[in-house]
Parts: sequence; C-alpha cells; structure tokens
Amino acid sequence: MSAVRTSSSRVGASGPTRGSGGPPRARKVRLGEPGTAWLFLTPAIVLLAGMLLYPIIYTVWVSFSDFDLSTFQPGDWIGLKNYEAVIHDPGFLQSLKVTGIYLVIALPVQLILGFAIAFLLNVEWRGRGVLRALFLIPMVVAPVVAGGVWRMLLDPLWGVVNYALGLVGIGPIEWIGDPTLAMVSLILIDSWRWTPFIVLVASAGIMALPSDVYEAARSDGASRWQTLRHVTLPLLVPVIAAAFVVRWLGAVKMFDIALAATKGGPGQATDVVNLYIYEKGFRGLEFGSASSMATIVLIITMIITFFLFRLSRYLENRW
Amino acid sequence: MVSSSRLGRAAAIGGAILATLVFLFPVIYMASISFKLPRDIFTVPPRWFSELTFDNYTSYFHQARILPRMVNTVIVAAGSAIISMVAGAMAGYALTRLRMRGAGVMAGLILASRAVPPIALVVPMFLVARRLGLTDQYITVILAYVTFLVPYVVWLMRAFFRGLPKELEEAAMLDGCSRFGAFFRIIVPCSLPGLISTMIYCIILAWEELLFALILTNDRAVTIPVAIAGIAADTENGGLWGPLAAVGVLTVLPVVIFALAVQKYLVKGLADGATKG
Amino acid sequence: MRRYLRLAAAAAVFSLTVTACGSSGGDDAPAADGGGLGTAQNPVSIRVLANDAFAKQWQDQLVPEFNKKYPNIKVTVDGVPYNDQLAKSMLELTSPTATYDIVLGDDPWMPQLAKTGGLVDLKTDLTKFADANYDWDDINSAALAAGEWDGHQYGVPVRSNLLLMFYNRSLYKKAKVDEPTTATTWDQYFKDAAKLVQDTDGDGKTDAWAVGTYFTKDPLTPTIWQTALNSNGGKLLDENLKVQFDNETGVKALQTQVDMLKYAPPGAATYQFNEPLEAFRQGKVATMFMWGSVYKGTAIDTTTTTLKEDEVGITTLPAGSTGPGAHRGIWTAGVAKKSTHQAAAWTFLQWTTSKEGEQWVGANLGTFPARNSTLNGTPPAPWLKPVYTAISAGYDAIAKGEMWRPRLPESDAVQQILALQTSRAISGQATAQEAVHQAATDISALLKSKGYQQ
Repeated sequence: MSAVRTSSSRVGASGPTRGSGGPPRARKVRLGEPGTAWLFLTPAIVLLAGMLLYPIIYTVWVSFSDFDLSTFQPGDWIGLKNYEAVIHDPGFLQSLKVTGIYLVIALPVQLILGFAIAFLLNVEWRGRGVLRALFLIPMVVAPVVAGGVWRMLLDPLWGVVNYALGLVGIGPIEWIGDPTLAMVSLILIDSWRWTPFIVLVASAGIMALPSDVYEAARSDGASRWQTLRHVTLPLLVPVIAAAFVVRWLGAVKMFDIALAATKGGPGQATDVVNLYIYEKGFRGLEFGSASSMATIVLIITMIITFFLFRLSRYLENRW
Repeated sequence: MVSSSRLGRAAAIGGAILATLVFLFPVIYMASISFKLPRDIFTVPPRWFSELTFDNYTSYFHQARILPRMVNTVIVAAGSAIISMVAGAMAGYALTRLRMRGAGVMAGLILASRAVPPIALVVPMFLVARRLGLTDQYITVILAYVTFLVPYVVWLMRAFFRGLPKELEEAAMLDGCSRFGAFFRIIVPCSLPGLISTMIYCIILAWEELLFALILTNDRAVTIPVAIAGIAADTENGGLWGPLAAVGVLTVLPVVIFALAVQKYLVKGLADGATKG
Repeated sequence: MRRYLRLAAAAAVFSLTVTACGSSGGDDAPAADGGGLGTAQNPVSIRVLANDAFAKQWQDQLVPEFNKKYPNIKVTVDGVPYNDQLAKSMLELTSPTATYDIVLGDDPWMPQLAKTGGLVDLKTDLTKFADANYDWDDINSAALAAGEWDGHQYGVPVRSNLLLMFYNRSLYKKAKVDEPTTATTWDQYFKDAAKLVQDTDGDGKTDAWAVGTYFTKDPLTPTIWQTALNSNGGKLLDENLKVQFDNETGVKALQTQVDMLKYAPPGAATYQFNEPLEAFRQGKVATMFMWGSVYKGTAIDTTTTTLKEDEVGITTLPAGSTGPGAHRGIWTAGVAKKSTHQAAAWTFLQWTTSKEGEQWVGANLGTFPARNSTLNGTPPAPWLKPVYTAISAGYDAIAKGEMWRPRLPESDAVQQILALQTSRAISGQATAQEAVHQAATDISALLKSKGYQQ
C-alpha cells in the first residue's frame, strides 16, 4: 500500500451523483487495473476454490459410483445408474415440485413484505434502532426451536392461534395436519424467519440512498408515490436484486425448518428437495442416489441462478 | 428522507411497532415458556401465566454445556464473519468497480458456488478434515462457514458498492491513494450501513448453523445449535420444552445485544455527506 | 482469465493432494494386550460416542462410579443429537484411525454399524479381556438380540426401552370402562375408545380423547402398526428378507393406526414424540402408546405432569391373534475394531452392563434394565414395580412376535419408506391398502437394488 491520504480527501470529492439512466461508465482506465482486480479477488477465490473444489468433485464422483459404506468412499463406477434410479423416483420429482411451489410463493412474499417493513422502519424516531435490532430475532432462533414453537402455536388443542380464532368462532384449523395448509404454514414460518433478512438489507439500502435526489424530486413537486416509483425504486434495484438472489440461494437450500415443523409431511406435502436429499443421505444412508440428486439440484440451481443473474443485470442497466 | 405529514409519520411508526410485535410474538411466547414448569406449557386452553420457575435456565445450563458451547459459537461466528467480510467485500468491490474481463463470469461462478446442497458438501469436507487431522477444531468450522458466507457477502456488497458515487475513490486516487488505500479509507467507511448489515447477516448464519457444526466437531468446538438439537431430539423422558425455550432465549440474547451495539454505526449520511461536500 | 484458470488448477491440485495423502493412513493392528487397563502412572483413555440425551449424565454420574473400581481408565463421553447420530457414527467407524473406542447405536442401527466392519464381536473377539463373572445368559434374549447381526454379537444393551401402553385410570373410570390388561384385544380397545372420547366437565364440548401416539411422518410412527402386525402373526419381511406384508394382515394393521386418529384429539395427525406425551400428561387422552422411559415424567415428577402416580397405568399394547404387543427400542454399545484400547473399552461396557452395574444404573440414572435378574429382583424404587412388570411382559411379547424394526443394514431406509406411506394413509392421501401396497413395492425395489432376492 502506497502513501495514503487521510479520509479528509473525501471533502474534495463532489459532483453529480449516480442517478437514473446514467451513461455507460466513462472512467479513466488505469494501467494495471485488471491486475488489481484479480488481487482483490484472490482471497475469495482461494477460499472458495480450496474449500469447494474437492467436495464438488467428490459428490459428482459418488453420484456415478456404487457408494461403499464401509470406507465412506465411492466404490465401483456404475455410470448413470444412480441417475436413472433418481429420475424414476417419484418421491424426488414430487419434492422438486414442492420446492418449486414453496419458492414461487415464499420469495415474492418475503421480498415485498421485507421492503415494506424496511420503509416503515426507516421513519426517523428514537425507537428505530431498537426495532431494527429486535427484528433480527426470528433469524437467530434455532430452527428446531422455532419449528417447535410454531407447532405449539398452531396446534388445534393447545395452540394460541387456534384459541384466538376460536374466540371469533373459527376453527379449530389443522394448520399442519392438512396437506394444503401444511404448505401454507411452512411458508408462513419460513417468511417469519427470513423476511427480517430482507428488512435488514433493505434498510441498509434505503439508508445509503443519497438524500439530494429526494430534495431535487421534491423541489420538482413530485408526490410521495411518484418519488417512490421514479426515484427510490430505481435506485434500489441493485439492492433488491441482490437481496432476492441471496434469499433465493438460501431458500433453495432450506430444509431445517421443514424438518422441525412438518417433517416434510403429511405425505410429501412439504417435502422440499433438500429435506428429501438429507433424509436419503443422512437417515437412509443412500449416499449414491443422494449425490445424484444433489448434482441434479446443483445444475438446476445454477441454470436458474444464471437467469436470475442476467435478469438482475438487465434491470440494473435499465434504470 | 422525504418529510411526511405528522399523521403519516405516526402511522408509519405505529405500523413499524405493530409489525415488530407480530414478528416477535412467537419469540415472546418462547420466552414465556422458558419461565414455566413443564407441566404448565401445554395447557388446554393456552395460558400466559403460571407458576414462575427459573429451573429451565439452570437445569440444562450445565447438562448441555451451554457456556463453553456459547464461547465456541462466538469464536466461530466472529471468525467466519470477519474472514468472509474481508474477502467478500474486496471481491465485491473488484467486481463492481474495477475493469476486468470476465467480471460477470466470476461473479456468476462465485454465486453459483452457493448452489451446492449442503448435504453434498459436509461429508467430503469431513473426510478432508479427518485426513488433515483437523476435525473438532475452530479453524475447520470457520473455513466451512466462510465458503457459504463469502458468496453472500460478494453479492450484497456488490449491490451496496454500486450505490456509491464513483467520484469518491477517483478523487481519492487522484490525490495519490492506491486502490487499496482508496478502498479501505474511502469506500469501506462510506458503505458502513451495508457492511454492518451484511456482517450481521453473516454472524446470524454462522450462529445458527447446525449441519456442518455437527459433523465437523466432536467435543471441543461444538456450538450451541448442536446443543439445542441434542436437547430437542431427546425421546427418552420428554417434557423438555422448558429448557429448550430457555436455551433458545439464551442464544438470541448475544446477537440482539450485538445488533443494538452496532446500531450507532447504522447511520445514514457517511456517503451522503461525502457527496454533498 | 488465464490467471483464474491457474488459480483454479492450483486449488484443485491442493485439494487432490489432501485426499491422496490420507490413503496411506495407518492400519495399525491393535496391541495384543488391547491397550491394557492402565496404571496409576500411565492411565489409559477411552472415548465413547453416545447420544446427546444422556452423554452428560454418563460423563457426570456413570463414569465417576466406574472410576471407583477402575481408577486408571479415563472415559470421555461425547454426545451427538439423535437425527444425525447414525451418519456421524458411520463416519467415525470408517475412519482409518479410531477417534472413538465405544460406539452406541439405536435399535435398528446395529446392522448398518456392523456392516462397516468397524465393530468387533464381543463374544469371540474380546475373550482375552472378558470378565469371568460376566453372565451373558442373564441378559434377556429379546434385549440381547438388539446387538446381534449376522450371527455376531456386536453390542450389549445399555439403555433398554420399549413401546408400551399408558392409560389414565381417572378417564377410564369417568367413561365407566374397564381398565386394559395384557389380554385386552384391539377389537375391545376400539370399543372402549369410542366411549373414552368424552365430555368430562359436562359443558357439552368434548374435552378428553381416547388415544395419543405418533401419527406424523416419522420413522417411529409406523412402529405402532408394525406392532399390531406382529401381534397378529404378520411380519414385514420373511426369513429370506422378502417383503411379506402386502396382504390383508398388513392392510388391517395399518388401518388400525389410521382408525386411531378418529379417537385422537384435534391436530393429532401431526403428533410426534412430544405432543401425545403432553396431551397425556395434561389428562386429555385416556391411552398413549409410548416409550416406557417417559413413565417417571408422566406419573411421578410433579413438575412435568399433572397426573398422580395412582392415575397412571402401564401395560402392553392391545393383543392381536397371537398375544399382546410391544416394540423394542434398545440402545446397544459396541467396541470399535480400530480402537487401541479394546481392553479398557470392553471393561467399561462389561461393568456398565454387569448385574452390579445395571443395578446401579437403574437406581441412579433411571435407565431400564435388560437383565432378567434385575427385572425380577426388587426394583430400586417402589414406583418402578408396575413398570418392571410391564417391561417383563413386553420383553416376552417382543421375543415371541419379533417385534422390532427390520434387522438389515437398510433398516432406516425401509423405515423411511414406511413413514412416508403411513403418513399418506393417515392424512387421507391414500387408503391403507394403497399405502401398504406402495410401501411394499418401494421396499421391494430398494432391497432388490441392494442385491437381495425379491
């Protein structure tokens, strides 16, 4: 690191802020910038490649072989046999479908709810910081405890939720016993747990918005709705996109809360794919087919992530 | 932000408090359970108040080795969050602000590394750790967590860095700062809300992780979620919801205290003030 | 980009080196003296892989008691949460060097653990270190069978448990129904069940139900109808491990459990271990099919139950055509083949499961015994008397009807399939016949893929 000016140099930095419809980056090209970029990337790449390469190779290898439980190593190469078995496994296909339903409903709900609450929490008053901190709690409660507490709350016999509904003459409702409602409950619990993440990221995003844009918008006589629609949201697109992608990758892997709350049941009504793989591998010790499933899920996830990535780049560049 | 009418402001504050209460309801219920005798937890109909007891906090505190495991959890969560933040923020910065070929591919690859189902990772990671004699050590758990935290940090920080005006570090560099200097002296302080939020998220993820902690540790490095899973899976005696809720409350407290402590850094205006000059 | 490729290549080489260097890992043959029993100057250390539910209890109470007799054997007990204990134990047993000298396994796990080749036959491989007074024949045969697989004795029972029927005498009295005995049949039970769904306080609303037990999607849920199947002379698999329950007896057995739900409280379809237990302890259900180990917290400990000791009865599950039912759930402990301290490990296990050790464990840790001498002797506490009686009757039923989960390395996979199909039948997504047929088909396919004749 060469001589560094103190941060007071910031004072000298001024000029137009990044607004909507900004021109393509016109920046002075510095010699060696790609080199610096790789240097900045090195720690992340070394960590990820060092830790992940072998496990991924191992998993793919196991998926093509007859797993030998006595050494916990892949045994004989059996080609696509595991994959054939998995593709013809109705349970696996059903779990993919269940995962799809869960994702399509849960993700938008969490995103919209999260940003809405973040805007509410952004109003400046003394208790704001405390509320923001308290809002983190649902994420911190261990899944098995959270799942159990929710099971208690939703129970038809001793549950508070059904008790309250009973006071107004509804119920008792079989929140977890009914196949359709079990999915509703799972999404409810998952949204309770992870909406706070969206709130956390959205709050930071909203806070980082430059305030002079608003002043400009207001002096132009824009209404609050117009400001939101034409100033705030476009500026927030990168944060919204990033929050969505991060939540998507977290949600794809969800299985702990399903295990604790519904065990994937009744039947396979809430059997998300990672729970299915987990039970196959860790309970059934079917590591061969579990690895094939993991590989298939990896590929599907990568393809969808790629499209989400393209979509978010498109959205970012549009505004 | 936009100034609102007094009424709108009051409504927003009311809405925020209401939303917080709704989200906290299960946690409040959990806390109430933690002070009940086991026989009073599953009453029909549900009761809020009953004979008060602190036994749930004391009885399992020793049995489940809560204190040493809490220390382990703090070490692992802090270690993995710090490493991930440094590596991830630098990478996120490079991918947003530096001109390089293949930035999109790299960003995509880093993200895609998060697509691997955890069950596929944990067994081979254990095998490698065993070969290296590194099971049951903090560093193993920390590195395992880093692999799933780094992609998140890269992606979140990428979004936050995008929001910063480019003139910031350009001005700094014109003034003679190196890239590293500009990054650590200018960019990092200016994106503090984003950094802190991302760090909180990292700590929470590491705090509540179970599968890797379970497989990679035996005794010395065991974390709180493993202790909780152990109590929860007891099918011998039953009646353990009191202790479980108590441990649940104990695990929540440190994170809330930490979040409250860093709240003061979650203030608007660092980047803002910089651009206004 | 080229730099990235180089980095990736370097990382790949690094990872592969890591794997390669392990394969040379030591295959040290255990010393002839099995590591000895230690001396005051050179104590030996052994490590036990146990379940989290009782690891701490063992460490703090059992080990000090053991050390009174064998002060030079240091014992460390690590606990693992139940859900991942099997996988964790498999990983440890297949390790080139043994981290653990003693590994505990739940009832259906022993074949899987033994199949790794990581356990020794306690009866033949460890004779050198055997205590001459250790009485194998005194251990109840039904209990001992939990540690046996493929003709070898890989484990000894350390924590015995079985599925029994609890009943609430007050609710039986209120419904004017005779209390169940070991002779009560399933038909009689269902006749009584209709009356046991009752309004106890006369406010016009049903407030007590007949039954609580496992109904959710859980590997333990099918054990209820497996018991009904066994007590009607049916079996899941025949001696050649061929699927044998896709018939009328099988359907009838599953239907038994599905029918129970009619007499269970609202929400019972989600019941796992905890919910039926709490419903029973709150006096909301008249009977409960549950592990015997919950007795103390259900009848004796007033902080966990609302019931009095004399309100709680315990007996075997209702009888089928061949007799009453019960289901075995016994933790057994084995010694690792790669352990360098087999002598100390086997000494610890022998002491724990000896007549003397079992007496102490039963009296101080509340664990149920596996030895006939302990079961027939004076119980360490008066309240245990009815429990020991029920356990004895249960063991007899278990031995007669082979009431346990399938004894093969694929046991858990089989139980998973049963769990799913049972859940489908209970939630009304399939009839009992469809569910039984699907389960039979899936299990058959699974076993076939593993090379069993089907």
